[in-house]
Amino acid sequence: MAPARTPLSLYVHWPYCSFLCRFCAFSKARVPAGGVNHALITRALLAELRTSLAPHSRDKELRSIYFGGGTPSLAQPAHVAQIIEQASRLVPLATDAEITLESNPTSAETDKMAAFKAAGITRYSIGIQTLDDGVLQRMGRLHSGAEALAAANRAASLFPGHVSLDMMFGFESQTVAQWKRELETVLAHADGHLSLYQLTVEPGTPLFRDIRAQRVKRNPDDTLALMYETAVALCRSRGLTHYEVSNYAASPESQSIHNIGYWQGRQWIGIGPSAHSRFIDPASGTCIRTVRIPDIQRWVQGCLEHGHGTAKTETVDDAEARQEAVVFGLRMLDGLSNARFMRTGCVNSGALSLAKYLCVEQVQRYVRDGYLRSSGRLDHLAPTERGLQVIDSILLDILP
Amino acid sequence: MATACEYLWKASMKSEGYATKADGLGAEIDITGYTPDRIRNFSIIAHIDHGKSTLADRLLETTGVITKSGKNKQVLDKLKVERERGITVKAQSASMFCEHDGRKYLVNLIDTPGHVDFSYEVSRSLAACQGTILLVDAAQGIQAQTVANFYLAFGEGLAVIPMLNKVDLPTAEPDRAALQIESAFEIDAANIVHLSAKTGLGIDRVLPSVIERIPAPSGSIDAPFKALLFDTWYDKYVGVVCLMAIKDGAVRRGDRVVSMHSGTRYEVMEVGIMHPEQRPATQLQVGQVGYVICNMKSVAEAHVGDTFHKDKFSVAPLPGFAPAKSMVFAGVFPLDAGEFDKLNESIQKLTLNDSSVAVHKETSAALGQGWRLGFLGTLHMDVFRQRLEEEYDASVLVTAPTVPYRVQYKDSTSKYIQTPADFPTAIEIQDKVDAVMEPFVLATLIFPEQYLGAMLELCTMHRGDIHTHTYLDESRVMLKCRMPTAEMVTDFYDQLKSRSQGFASFDYEDNGYNESDLVKMEVLLNGEAVDALAAVMHRDNVATVGRTMAKRLKDVIRRQLFDIIIQTAANGKIVARETVKQLRKNVTAKCYGGDISRKMKLLNKQKEGKKRMKKIGRVELPQEAFLSVMTGSKE
Repeated sequence: MAPARTPLSLYVHWPYCSFLCRFCAFSKARVPAGGVNHALITRALLAELRTSLAPHSRDKELRSIYFGGGTPSLAQPAHVAQIIEQASRLVPLATDAEITLESNPTSAETDKMAAFKAAGITRYSIGIQTLDDGVLQRMGRLHSGAEALAAANRAASLFPGHVSLDMMFGFESQTVAQWKRELETVLAHADGHLSLYQLTVEPGTPLFRDIRAQRVKRNPDDTLALMYETAVALCRSRGLTHYEVSNYAASPESQSIHNIGYWQGRQWIGIGPSAHSRFIDPASGTCIRTVRIPDIQRWVQGCLEHGHGTAKTETVDDAEARQEAVVFGLRMLDGLSNARFMRTGCVNSGALSLAKYLCVEQVQRYVRDGYLRSSGRLDHLAPTERGLQVIDSILLDILP
Repeated sequence: MATACEYLWKASMKSEGYATKADGLGAEIDITGYTPDRIRNFSIIAHIDHGKSTLADRLLETTGVITKSGKNKQVLDKLKVERERGITVKAQSASMFCEHDGRKYLVNLIDTPGHVDFSYEVSRSLAACQGTILLVDAAQGIQAQTVANFYLAFGEGLAVIPMLNKVDLPTAEPDRAALQIESAFEIDAANIVHLSAKTGLGIDRVLPSVIERIPAPSGSIDAPFKALLFDTWYDKYVGVVCLMAIKDGAVRRGDRVVSMHSGTRYEVMEVGIMHPEQRPATQLQVGQVGYVICNMKSVAEAHVGDTFHKDKFSVAPLPGFAPAKSMVFAGVFPLDAGEFDKLNESIQKLTLNDSSVAVHKETSAALGQGWRLGFLGTLHMDVFRQRLEEEYDASVLVTAPTVPYRVQYKDSTSKYIQTPADFPTAIEIQDKVDAVMEPFVLATLIFPEQYLGAMLELCTMHRGDIHTHTYLDESRVMLKCRMPTAEMVTDFYDQLKSRSQGFASFDYEDNGYNESDLVKMEVLLNGEAVDALAAVMHRDNVATVGRTMAKRLKDVIRRQLFDIIIQTAANGKIVARETVKQLRKNVTAKCYGGDISRKMKLLNKQKEGKKRMKKIGRVELPQEAFLSVMTGSKE
């Protein structure tokens, strides 16, 4: 019997958007005046895919593919099909592989949903963000709340049990009551999965500049905390389990396999401008992180001339890998098992247990105070709901 | 560097006409021909930025001590902090040779520190001179520091030659400045020299004035050797270098000299003049000023103001010897307890060259092991910290400055309090203490008259007692005010500058002790007193300062996973209370593939920041907490 293949994830970054949201800090570009050169972008993606996946064809299997962006729902379904097909020829696709596409709920994109399903997409993620048409407009989004709900309904019929709706809370002037009402409406249309993000003001975004110039007011921290707590309670009452800081699922099957990969330290390859990758180099056995060129033109040029548009490659040493394993593992309410920590993807310098790695005294104090849960001598460590809410503070204390 | 100096040396040798003698160790110059009548020793006193160092550069250039390269910017200000702040901390000296009326002279410029914190350094430098140039900026007129330094020179009985600098500036008002000099100092400013040290205008009149108007040093070559030690510094190759003014007799290599203060004997290894670097000479003799290297291992042995004589030839000691006195004390702690040893070494090295810093070990419950350092003033303290950070790359936490309070006990003993931790409790004061005294200063403020109201208010607010205010001319006022030293070391100077839009200048001198109603203010975090945040203050200030301190701490203490109660208390009574509410949420909303590097970078930065926090129980105190108590407690 052949040895079991190691799971691998593939991330495909599609860089264009038809509108730019004022809060967005991701790498993206507005669709150029003459339209996107779909054929060129696809050719570049396919070239980079070939170069990047080929070394993994012997020992990996593709556990998930994720089309993110940008707005990948602007891509042509035929090209999405080509990428999925090429990827599965290079690295075998697991039988239950999850293939997600992110989308905006404009009517034009909703019309393409069936074609994406035919192209091989198995999970559909819709960026609703808010149902408040005023906020949508102020944030620069070109769709209405009604269109968003229509898109959610259409997706539920095409991808039953595999639809994720993205919402944000904490917009200027939003009250806790308003947020609760919006969330209740969205819950009525939800099909298995919700991502509820606190609006984060990232440096470099127009929103950041608005706030700095005091054109826009920020909601107070305690209001944001209350909104978060409201979401946790409301989702629980509707049978959605909180499984990661911002993610809720009706059942384990509805959870995002791809995103869990990031939190559990699975290897992944990212293609497309600005995409990150983290994998063990089959040639050297060392853990590597790469970043692709963010500028679209230069990235295309790199792919067409050298087969890839990698801007930067760096080694992830064991210390970093361990730190990441804890930081990301504890974003999940399931937490982190010592067994998983000890075989953390990249550890080459001999295994180290959680009990030996973490500041045990601090861990015990947080367990005693109800912020963390642990079993045995740190065979397993997980945050409680209360702990998850302040996990960034806790990490500073428990990490060596 | 060595070759450049050598070159300068050769270039200047030709014009100077002194003999050299080769002895295998390098040329030793022979300056025995310069008898007291051919010697002048002078200093320059001026306010900051009135151009003292630039004038010194020009004089060194015209006498060929340094070349006119255009690069001579404040040659005598050797420390980086001196050039940055435009002040002189350590006195430096330079010897110049020049000709006047067909005779050759050896003229020694003895530089003085420009700030009153260093008034002891000023007075010891002045004690080595017979006269001084009072340099005044023709545009700015006389400033408080000019006044203080003038009176120091006047007190030493020196000849004072007023000169106006920067007369080429469009804003210069030389006549007005001359009038101010006459009314403030009652000296005749009729033949005042007009200068522009920057352009060189009038520079040729400076040394002739010095030679004509400053008396030659007195003393006799036949009397037993007697010298005043007026400055020292540490050289890592030869040990302590002493600058001495020779009052009688002569000294040369191989002589055995004795410190009158300690009685210790030393063998002289080398003597010479500063030109401007050390230049060995065959002999230093009466009237001359130069350096003596005599196997001294530590500057602690070199007491400024000390008299030296030859072994077995005792002399009467020179007057004016006083050890440096600390005006301000502050706790100094390493930010990271692991850096204690490194900081210890840095402080030792720095005090090798600055014996005016008093050093005691101190242990704080809040901050761990550190030091209590005594400084000549707040500027001295700032300069010390800056040098520690810049020259030794040390990160330090400096606690709020305190002044030396004096406690007189009923059993007629008394004690100086250098740290609030040692201040007696309310009960002790009641039972055992006769009086608590605080030190005072006499402050001089000079400013344009439109700020008179603001300045009077400022002084009153700082418990000041106005003595006089006089008009120096039709629009400039000189105000004298006695106030507690403690009031001066907090925010007085900043307030002075902001309330006068930078136009007021300020100087002070010690003015004894007075009984005062003082109490200790404590800061409690979740019920636990933080010793490093305690402060001693007048009872009248307790309510305001207590409230301000609690508010400021609330602003700088970050929210943690529990409520933090901040209390200020005096005499066992809570003055103010603030709460830093528990942190409810602290978690990054989005963390996917592309966010990982950014998240980890941020986390490691936060971990670094946390390391620099001081922990009081579980409460994390940022550095700003200590600064917030230090400054601006009146607002």
